[in-house]
Amino acid sequence: MKDLFRGELVRFTLEEPETAAKAELRWTHDTELHRLLDGDPAQLFSEKKIREWIEKQSADSSMPERYSFSVRTLAEDQYIGFLGLWVDLIHSEAWVGLGIGEREFWSKGYGTDMMKLCLQYVFTELCLERLSLGVHAYNPRAIRSYEKCGFRLEGRTRGDVLREGRRTDSLWMGILRAEWMQMQNGDRT
Amino acid sequence: MKDVLTGKLVRLAAFDPEEMSKAFTRWNLNSEYQRLSNSDPTRMPSAKRNAKWMEDRVAELSPARYHFSIRTLAEDKLIGELGLDVVDWSGRDAFVGLGIGETEYWGKGYGTDVMNVLLRFAFTEINLRRVTLSVFEYNPRAIRSYEKAGFRHEGYLRNFLNRAGHRWNEIYMGILREEWMGLNTDTAG
Repeated sequence: MKDLFRGELVRFTLEEPETAAKAELRWTHDTELHRLLDGDPAQLFSEKKIREWIEKQSADSSMPERYSFSVRTLAEDQYIGFLGLWVDLIHSEAWVGLGIGEREFWSKGYGTDMMKLCLQYVFTELCLERLSLGVHAYNPRAIRSYEKCGFRLEGRTRGDVLREGRRTDSLWMGILRAEWMQMQNGDRT
Repeated sequence: MKDVLTGKLVRLAAFDPEEMSKAFTRWNLNSEYQRLSNSDPTRMPSAKRNAKWMEDRVAELSPARYHFSIRTLAEDKLIGELGLDVVDWSGRDAFVGLGIGETEYWGKGYGTDVMNVLLRFAFTEINLRRVTLSVFEYNPRAIRSYEKAGFRHEGYLRNFLNRAGHRWNEIYMGILREEWMGLNTDTAG
């Protein structure tokens, strides 16, 4: 069977809370990254606070509703980002959120590779029926990456985000199990 | 839509540890009830002790655990208890255990009605793929009731129990979503 935690450019791993807190502390100083990821105001937190969140998250790591991974590159073994899943067990679907903290790895297919690994995990290991995500309309790079992975635009909340004096939309994208299976071209996973 | 928790003779109602522990303690004064419902040596824990573990069980809100009391529709009388534990989310399988503690309701279709309601809940509300149970070889009344509800014999642990000078098998039974849908085309919605 396939190694579920190994893609073409990246692998899923688990960083120690200390390592993760140091990296995430650095990433929070990148306000552009923050605005791509989130609708909250950019804020800075202490390393201690960040480590507490990460420890809380690892305490939840045996829950069937919650999955989180650290991401490392295969070539350099560099820790570059994260990916998390929130599962709705009753309705067999999940939401995904991911980010690449290290800017030199933007726009080079790393995010797409992370998402492909995530889709394989969601559909062949968790056996869910759909995966959902939300993305800001001003993040066309992410939207293109999700489309490449097979996500379709399903809806839009108009003007719910006010950034730099302009109201922008939130987009909602999704992929169904059957759509993903069809994209695998008989490549058995 | 139908009331998913009401059957023809019974309804599934809230599990109140205080009420249930008193009834459960009384039911277990009957050693036959204990021998039909579990493999532990029959004994008599106090109502207080029973209330403690029941409170601990219901305190945890989880999509994987459901506890109900069983009440008759005619008299609104508490006659039994029922638990459904999802054991595997990727296979969407759950284990069910139920007991009718009030012996005057034995052999009159109440257990079968409970199981019919439970299966509708499991397949249309929790959206499970299968339901599993185990029953002791010396409980033909229960086995026949489960068969009527659509369960099939899937396997057994040989000589699992030693009771009344005999060794008895523990029988495993299961029902798949498709099988249940086929039996319940009118109630499937």
